[in-house]
Amino acid sequence: MSQFEAANTLHNCPLSLRTISAAALLMSLGSVAMAGAPDGGRIGYVLTERHWALYQTEGAREECPQGFNIGPREQYDELFPEDSGVERTEVDTRLMREGRRFHRTTADEDPFPFHDAQGTTAYGLNLDGKVSDEDFLSPEGEDGIDNQLHRAIGCISIYRGPDGTFYHFSNLFMYGNAYNRWMIELSGVDDLANDNEVTVTFYRGLDDLVTDASGKGFVAGGTQRVDMRWGQSFIQEVQGSIVDGVLTTQPTDRTKFPWSFPGIGGGFHLFRDFQLKLTLTPKTAEGILAGYVDVEQYNHRLNRNWTTHHQSYGQLSAASLYRAMKRLADGHPDPDTGANTAISAAVDVIMHQVHIVHPGQQSAD
Amino acid sequence: MRLMYKRAAPHGSSKVFCAGVLGFVALVMLAGCSESDPEPETPGTRALVSLVTAEQYRNSLSYIFGPGVDLQVEFAPVARTEGLLANSAAIAGIGSSQLQGIQGVAASVASQVLDTKHRNYLVPCRPESIDGPDEACATRFLSRVGRLLFRRALTDDEVAMHVKQAGSAAEQLESFYAGLEIALEGMLISPEGLFVVERAEPDPENPGQLRLDAYSLASRLSYFLWNSAPDDELLAAAESGELQASGGLERAVDRMLASPRLAEGMRAFLDDMFAFDEVKTLTKDSTIYPEFTRVTAEDAREQTLRTSIEHLLANDGDYRDLFTTRSTVMSPALAIIYGVPAEPGWTPHTFPDDSPRSGLLTQVSFLSLHAHPGRSSVTLRGQALRERFLCQTVPEPPPGIDFSVVSNPDANYPTQRQRVRAHLETPSCAGCHRITDPIGLSLERFDGAGGFRLTENGAVIDASGGLDGFEFEGAVGLGKALRENPELPRCLVQRVYSYGTGAPPAMEARPALDYFNAEFAARGYRLRELLRTIALSKAFSRVQNDPGEESNPEYQEESRISVASSR
Repeated sequence: MSQFEAANTLHNCPLSLRTISAAALLMSLGSVAMAGAPDGGRIGYVLTERHWALYQTEGAREECPQGFNIGPREQYDELFPEDSGVERTEVDTRLMREGRRFHRTTADEDPFPFHDAQGTTAYGLNLDGKVSDEDFLSPEGEDGIDNQLHRAIGCISIYRGPDGTFYHFSNLFMYGNAYNRWMIELSGVDDLANDNEVTVTFYRGLDDLVTDASGKGFVAGGTQRVDMRWGQSFIQEVQGSIVDGVLTTQPTDRTKFPWSFPGIGGGFHLFRDFQLKLTLTPKTAEGILAGYVDVEQYNHRLNRNWTTHHQSYGQLSAASLYRAMKRLADGHPDPDTGANTAISAAVDVIMHQVHIVHPGQQSAD
Repeated sequence: MRLMYKRAAPHGSSKVFCAGVLGFVALVMLAGCSESDPEPETPGTRALVSLVTAEQYRNSLSYIFGPGVDLQVEFAPVARTEGLLANSAAIAGIGSSQLQGIQGVAASVASQVLDTKHRNYLVPCRPESIDGPDEACATRFLSRVGRLLFRRALTDDEVAMHVKQAGSAAEQLESFYAGLEIALEGMLISPEGLFVVERAEPDPENPGQLRLDAYSLASRLSYFLWNSAPDDELLAAAESGELQASGGLERAVDRMLASPRLAEGMRAFLDDMFAFDEVKTLTKDSTIYPEFTRVTAEDAREQTLRTSIEHLLANDGDYRDLFTTRSTVMSPALAIIYGVPAEPGWTPHTFPDDSPRSGLLTQVSFLSLHAHPGRSSVTLRGQALRERFLCQTVPEPPPGIDFSVVSNPDANYPTQRQRVRAHLETPSCAGCHRITDPIGLSLERFDGAGGFRLTENGAVIDASGGLDGFEFEGAVGLGKALRENPELPRCLVQRVYSYGTGAPPAMEARPALDYFNAEFAARGYRLRELLRTIALSKAFSRVQNDPGEESNPEYQEESRISVASSR
């Protein structure tokens, strides 16, 4: 089974993903404990799987008891029923709706009910260090989890694994598009299992991912050259620590994270208070990256990268989602208006060990 | 010298030589044969009728028509005979289905050569009219192409026949180039082009002896050194008599050895000697070795060929050092197996002095090719080393063997060393496995895909091994032991001579092989020098028969009578 298939299968059942991950962690801890320091105290990982982290129960009974949200086609039918006998212009109908994607507003109320994800459980990190009413409990029992994006997109089928088209294609396009070649390099590592002070640098790579014999999964040991030309804005250094094989990084003020689709340059998300929590082995780094996602940039990226046509295959109404995100935004208030500009979020990620080659460095040992 | 030559032993039991004896033999051989020793008299080889390989056909067409013509040529595989596919070319034929395939290639090539894109520079003249025949222009084109395709000048009758065919087709199709295309297609599938027919002539310097005629010698040289038909200059030397005149052969051989085409020729030889045709069918269990892909397999083959050509030709290195060198080239797909970084494309790579990798035996090609799909194999690796590099034959296992003894997973036997111990405890197995397993065990720190490992099933791997009286630790030790094994260069000599003459050496070739071995040693085991020695030798150009005469009905009748009267 490929990692993608595995991830899909695992996302079908909230218990299985984390249960297996926990088992893998237990197994991997043994190897981490034996791993010691990587060569030169450095080890790199490249992103090979990523999805917005959603807590999904069977049939969405727990998080979407009211059902899923409707999308562009359903909303259009309700707004402009064919049997109404009203004669309408293109400008007043299709173009008006299309314009809403790019000229987003919360000035008027959404004519359609929006179903936030319900429940008290979600994946993510405690980004603000507080435990408040809107926070979630992680499936592992950690309190204070900040993931309001889960509320906003948890009941939009396009985002749900394994069949949601955004869930599927967003990941597929990640490994097919080198713009998204996101990497981390740990340096100053004395012990991959425990080290209270390591430096983590984010880069964008230039090379293809290395697939396994099936062509579907990925293997460790590939090589990536650092993109020093167009990838400068993705380079960032943070401090972190490793405890029992789990890397946790200090929050960054602002991090640019590539998330582009084919043929569309410039797709990225802006995270505030960006953090990593990854279980490390010599071959993989798996876990969560989290932070407050800039709402305007999120929607700008979404609509530039994913057309109404595509959004319709998954009942994603950009106009409705924008209103929901603005309503649920919980971080980084605008100094003038006081309105929150960012929404807490988490991303499930799998990374594979890679040799990171810096400019001027010989790849050969 | 005759006594010093020790042919590869045909059976495993006689293959374990005492190192001291071998060392003595080598010393005596070196002392007894100096550079000035003349080549011993031998009867030469048999002149052969051989089917060209797909690669030779492709190389020849590429030389004639240039790289702009797309050549998708594949022939049916032939069996390996005494270590080389080349030894089977003289016993290969063409079936009707294969001929259809070749005709498809011929039609495609002819069509491309004469299309509007290519004909302006591939046809050396312009017809009076493009709507019909032009005898003069057709003659110029067909006689020139035919000479290169058939590796000899065409007779006037042959030229006339092909020109007539082109003219007839041009009239019917109302197109000069369409007519030429038909004639060219016919030439491309002609037996004269597909088969190399070696012809003999009396040797004026040695009355009573036969030698290859000039064209046949040119072909033998060209396929040997370039894996392609002779070029225009070599054919011209054959036509003019220059090739067989004093100093002519030396000039031709030296030119060929200095040509960049030598690298292509030697790639073909090494590919054959290393049995890399097996890479095409190499597969690994993707659940056990997910990192091993088709790209890995092809790159592994390429890595070994590039390493060898760089070492043997570009650096003019000692052949034996191929088994200890830490210099190679790396590709991204291979780097994953080797656990090192690699930038896109092929880049030079040197394994550090403390690396467990040195020499061809530690490259992924050897390690993965001679292993099972899901695990390593001490026996296959040991067998391959003996057969590929020492020219020895390890017999097939006797029938009725219970392989579960060694393949049954048993927690009490976590490593291969423990599992294959059963080989040595079973009398029917022990004879052969004693000569293979100690070799393979020293490579056990490399898994079935060629990746390095220190443990197997949690147990530390003991990589001690042995080769013909030498004991050592690990793959680096094996490489050193093999480098010092006197059979190593002797095997290469045997393979090169065999490859060049198209058949395994006969018993009477032993003195010539002894001479080649001595020359090879005296010249520092340099491949280019060995090629030169062989190409210039009488043993290379002298033949015992004339296939053209043998196919003559009168000759066959004489032979029949001769055999009958001798009874």
